[in-house]
Amino acid sequence: MVGPYVVRRMLQAIPLLFGISIIIFLMLQMAPGGPLASGEAQAAITPEKIERLRAHYGLDDPLPIQYLNWLGGLVTGDWGVSYDTGQPVLQVITERLPTTLALTGLAFAVSLLIAIPVGILAATRQYSVFDYASTGLSFAGIATPSFWFGLMLLYLFSFQWDLLPSAGLTDLREDHVGFAAVWDRTTHLIMPVAVLALIATANLARYVRASMLEVLGQDYVRTARGSGLPERTVILQHAGKNASVPVVTIAMLMVPELFLGAVITETIFSIPGMGALFVHSAELRDYPVLLGILVIAAVLVVITNLVADVIYGLLDPRISYE
Amino acid sequence: MSEVREAAEPVAAGDVPEEKARSLRAETWRQFRRHRLAVVGLAVLTLFTVAVIVGPWLIPFDPYYIDARTANLAPTLTHPMGTDELGRDQLARVLIGGRLTLAVSAAAVLVALIVGVAVGAVAGYAGGFPDNALMRVVDVFYALPGLFIVILLVALIGPTFWTIVIAIAVLSWMNTARLVRSSFLSLKEKEFVEAARTVGVSDARIVLRHILPNAFSPVIVAATLGVANAILIESSLSFLGLGFQPPEATWGGMLSESKSAVISLGQWWRGLFPGLMIFITVLSTNFIGDGLRDALDPRSAGNKGGRA
Repeated sequence: MVGPYVVRRMLQAIPLLFGISIIIFLMLQMAPGGPLASGEAQAAITPEKIERLRAHYGLDDPLPIQYLNWLGGLVTGDWGVSYDTGQPVLQVITERLPTTLALTGLAFAVSLLIAIPVGILAATRQYSVFDYASTGLSFAGIATPSFWFGLMLLYLFSFQWDLLPSAGLTDLREDHVGFAAVWDRTTHLIMPVAVLALIATANLARYVRASMLEVLGQDYVRTARGSGLPERTVILQHAGKNASVPVVTIAMLMVPELFLGAVITETIFSIPGMGALFVHSAELRDYPVLLGILVIAAVLVVITNLVADVIYGLLDPRISYE
Repeated sequence: MSEVREAAEPVAAGDVPEEKARSLRAETWRQFRRHRLAVVGLAVLTLFTVAVIVGPWLIPFDPYYIDARTANLAPTLTHPMGTDELGRDQLARVLIGGRLTLAVSAAAVLVALIVGVAVGAVAGYAGGFPDNALMRVVDVFYALPGLFIVILLVALIGPTFWTIVIAIAVLSWMNTARLVRSSFLSLKEKEFVEAARTVGVSDARIVLRHILPNAFSPVIVAATLGVANAILIESSLSFLGLGFQPPEATWGGMLSESKSAVISLGQWWRGLFPGLMIFITVLSTNFIGDGLRDALDPRSAGNKGGRA
């Protein structure tokens, strides 16, 4: 049954999360100078004050104790306080998280909407002009650095043609209401979503095509065609169903990639999301915030892997849950 | 990729196989040459590598020389890629920057290769508990949020050449480890290994001289594709302003510096050329990787449905 399988996979994810948390924690400890290094460089801070800060943040405790304290805090919702702003980490992150998740979700939806039809069409018309063109574009898309693509889009659409706004999520000069507000938001999102979706779309289109080609060559598809079913039914229902199994897995594994890719997209378009927060915190060595974001990203990776496994099992009855 | 292989098949069909036995290397090269895009990729990458090594000595401009009189020039014959706001020749910077980007990527892949081969060989050859433990470590590293970890390591330790190399390598060795492990698992049961053991060859020698050479094909493909990945990671890092610091040039760093010039002043050449270099290099590397994959293991072509 599916239920126990899901539970067992979730239990397997726990040691994985432990491993990740230990590595992340140790990585931060390895940094030369420690968390207060940037503060120590400032002459205005006396040694006594540093001592007090160290004690305040629990930095004098042995490492395992620090780790357990941190882990305990994670579970109970106390994610620490940002060294930079003094705000609770959980609050800092939850302010930014929706923006990044929305960007990720939109880009994911866009890549599915483009890649699936393109991949299917390319596979059903193998060696056609469309097939060569889409395959060529996929190769190009995979090799395109997203920041370069973004920069060139900005040059064309913002500088040359002045069609789309170059930064942020809303028009800061003017308050729009109703339809104008929706339009304002849309124009701000077109380029960031396009940039973020590019690589995922290119990758997915290739997987959909390869997966369809494999299925279309099989006997049961020929049988379905031979029995006089319309081509549309054969491709979408008979072949499509089986071709979707590997595609779903790959698609799910792309979600964390998109989430990480948002760092770059947010930087190009000056969008205040998690990625921008991460880069900013890395520069300031704001450890608690960095740890918090890493934990969220790692949990996202583990969850999407889990979902991919479960959907895989649901779509392919040959996978046993034993 | 299946696309290119299929396109190459008509050529294969008309090609009568020779009876003469060929060495593996010659056979691989013969297969590789059929993959036209891979050959083009190899030519381009070779050209770029030579250009970034000798180019900076050949062109008459210093990549770091600041000259207000030549600031913000659009591409001309003298400055084929234009100049930046400090009057530095962009071609000179693209060449010297390519040197850094390619060197970091090559070094990162090399380090990842060494770690991956070592872990995979130990896990596959020893089996049992060491294998299990090492594969769990691999799982953990796969689940790490890649780009975030690279940013973190480099931001915390400082953007030196070796920090960036190690940070990229830390996230790139797992694929090699898995490939080497699975090769070792099957190869260690083979008769020739058995024979070597029977005549008293030591474990270390069996691993290094008998198994490893046979396990290398998939690793070479993974390493080639790894170079493309490393170039993209290094460029992203530099673009975020966290990689090599100015006045040092890298392709990603040049794009980062060009941002406002491109967007508010419309100096397209500042952004176009460094990005084009990344694009062409990554594309060529991917083609080479695909060509190698088809040449080394014809069965693997097109079969990309499984889990990564």
